[in-house]
Amino acid sequence: MRNKELTFWLFITPVLLSLSLVVIVPVIMGLFYSFTNWDGLTITEFVGFSHYQRLLGDEQFIQSLWFTVRFSIASIILLNVIGLGLAMLVTSKLKSKNILRTVFFMPNLIGGLILGFIWQFIFIRVFAAVGEFIGVEALQVWLATPTTGFWGIVILTVWQMAGYIMIIYIAYLQGVPKELLESAEIDGATPFQKFRHVIFPLIAPAFTVTMFLTLSNSFKIYDQNLSLTGGGPFNSTQMVAMNIVDTAFSGNQMAYGQSKAIVFFIIVALISLTQVYYNKKREVDL
Amino acid sequence: MYNIRYKKMKAGAILTGASVVLLAACGNESGAGPGGMGGTNNGGGDGETIQLNIMQGKVEFNEQFNELADQYMSENENIQIEITSVGGGTDYFTQLTTRFSSGDEPTIFSVAGPNEIEQFQDTMADMSDTEAAQAALEGTIENVTHEDGRVDAIPYNLEGYGFIYNREIFEQAGIDPESLSTYEDLEAAVETIDSQKEDLGIEAVFALPGAESWVMGDHLANVYLSPELNGNPVDAYNAESLEFERSDEFKRMLDLQMNHSVEPVLSLDYSQQVEEYFSLGQVAMIQQGNWIYPTLEQMDPELAENVGMIPIPLEGHEDQLPVGVPNYWAVNSNNDEATVQAAKDFLDWMYLSDEGKEFVVNEFNFVPAYEGYEDMEISDPLSQTVYDYSQSGDTIGWVFTGFPTGYQLNEFGPNLQAYIAGEMTWEEAIEASKEAWESMRE
Repeated sequence: MRNKELTFWLFITPVLLSLSLVVIVPVIMGLFYSFTNWDGLTITEFVGFSHYQRLLGDEQFIQSLWFTVRFSIASIILLNVIGLGLAMLVTSKLKSKNILRTVFFMPNLIGGLILGFIWQFIFIRVFAAVGEFIGVEALQVWLATPTTGFWGIVILTVWQMAGYIMIIYIAYLQGVPKELLESAEIDGATPFQKFRHVIFPLIAPAFTVTMFLTLSNSFKIYDQNLSLTGGGPFNSTQMVAMNIVDTAFSGNQMAYGQSKAIVFFIIVALISLTQVYYNKKREVDL
Repeated sequence: MYNIRYKKMKAGAILTGASVVLLAACGNESGAGPGGMGGTNNGGGDGETIQLNIMQGKVEFNEQFNELADQYMSENENIQIEITSVGGGTDYFTQLTTRFSSGDEPTIFSVAGPNEIEQFQDTMADMSDTEAAQAALEGTIENVTHEDGRVDAIPYNLEGYGFIYNREIFEQAGIDPESLSTYEDLEAAVETIDSQKEDLGIEAVFALPGAESWVMGDHLANVYLSPELNGNPVDAYNAESLEFERSDEFKRMLDLQMNHSVEPVLSLDYSQQVEEYFSLGQVAMIQQGNWIYPTLEQMDPELAENVGMIPIPLEGHEDQLPVGVPNYWAVNSNNDEATVQAAKDFLDWMYLSDEGKEFVVNEFNFVPAYEGYEDMEISDPLSQTVYDYSQSGDTIGWVFTGFPTGYQLNEFGPNLQAYIAGEMTWEEAIEASKEAWESMRE
């Protein structure tokens, strides 16, 4: 018994330790700082909830929150549709499926900052050149307007993450028993019916995972945002993470930025937990 | 049941706690290096090695600065210098704050503008006894001098900006850029060049980098805000509100650049403006400063010889160039006297000794902010222009260094971008910027 206990703690301590060092302790310290006037060096007074009150009237913060929500909705839908589509493609009888898997997964191996700069070049130069060539004005102003900035980040994120989501779907698609599909075919199900009524419910656990990943990732995006648009034009494509960094570091309002981060943390945690709870309920067992 | 769980928790807490202590101990050991909080434990008496840790925010001359430090170390055996250079404005200040709060404080550090000086006030040694402070040019050190004569920091160098023009294009268009001193002159010249765009082989007259809000929100706005703030960053720092008295002049200059710029303005950035459009001769002029010269020279040495800089017209202040001190050197007072003195000696040597001057002018490509450089050849035409203007005193101060922290980046710049995009009218943009200033000054 005693031995077992010791082993238990030996295994769990490194995790506990790192978790508390990089997550729990900073969150508690952050919570504390958010009630003070901390400027990065010193604290001279406690300000209670005044930072949180100020947040309610902070238009830029609310706008960036709204932008992030819109961005997340667009990218979650696109990511799951495209990820699943790609997964279906590379689990079909295509000859080139192994190469395709690698190709689709590749963008995920490139860092977000670099991708941002690559796509900035594509949107600003390549799009403009193509637009000029075929005479489409709409292609020439990419990233110079809020709408193109929005879709620019969505395209970048989807392009980067779709391959990763694909891998998760592949794992679940391969787990769908052949005999079920066969019997559905014998019963005369069309390919769509087969997908809708057999495959779809069986890969529901995959949705739990991919939804969680895409949701929390698109909410927390920073590097792609920074290198692609830098929040511009006129901060219209600024996401919450960037708003927090700007407040804390370029605005040098550490405590206020910290209170934004706490609110952001609560929002992301609430949404993610709700989503996992509901998705879990939808899963079916064989 | 309860008992076992309690025991487990206790064991966990102890183990976790013990490891935290262990880790913290490691951290401490590596953290409190020489020059850190524990300034007393690194001696500093005669004959002993003095460590100078320098942290500064101008990466462009990092390599040359290190060479200078090597030379100084070879002449002064008991001095060890270690330089950390961190890039661009906001990143640097963040890292500086981090180093201070982690206890690993630099001995010499750079600060820009009254906001940063205010925050580090308590850790700055008085520099009034340095020779460099005595030799600083008029207008470069008053902003960091207290009423009792205490000097917080000494200037790095001077920088200036205006319209940098391509002489060849202006000659072909038959215009003498140096004669353009009023807005009307400039506007007429712009119209003339614009009408001959095809013949001159240029894409537009200007390249206005709308993606870089500092070009408009810091530099251009500075010209039109300086009269009401007496051209003094400290006045800007103390101002409770802004009037935007010269708002009309500001608008027409922004409009002039915007309407005659390469499109789309809002996604055009600094590197496109300088490296692409200007240095490839695709635009006649750009609003930039003498710091672009090394880039121009690298891109096209021939074109670089054929550029010049004229001031941005401001009524009542014609032919005055906005010249300012972008950075200051401060010495950390949390050190023993010998270390502080060694740091001051190094700075004096850098700016006032013959070897130092040589480096400052020829290797750093600085426009010196000190006396005693009159006989030296300044390396490039743009820096020469800046030095000439500051010698003759025809300058406008850099009030934007006294803007509230983050004002331009988060409020003013975006408002101007919204105006360019047509999302806000000029009045709305100015009104919003006034309100933002007041709320940030509360």
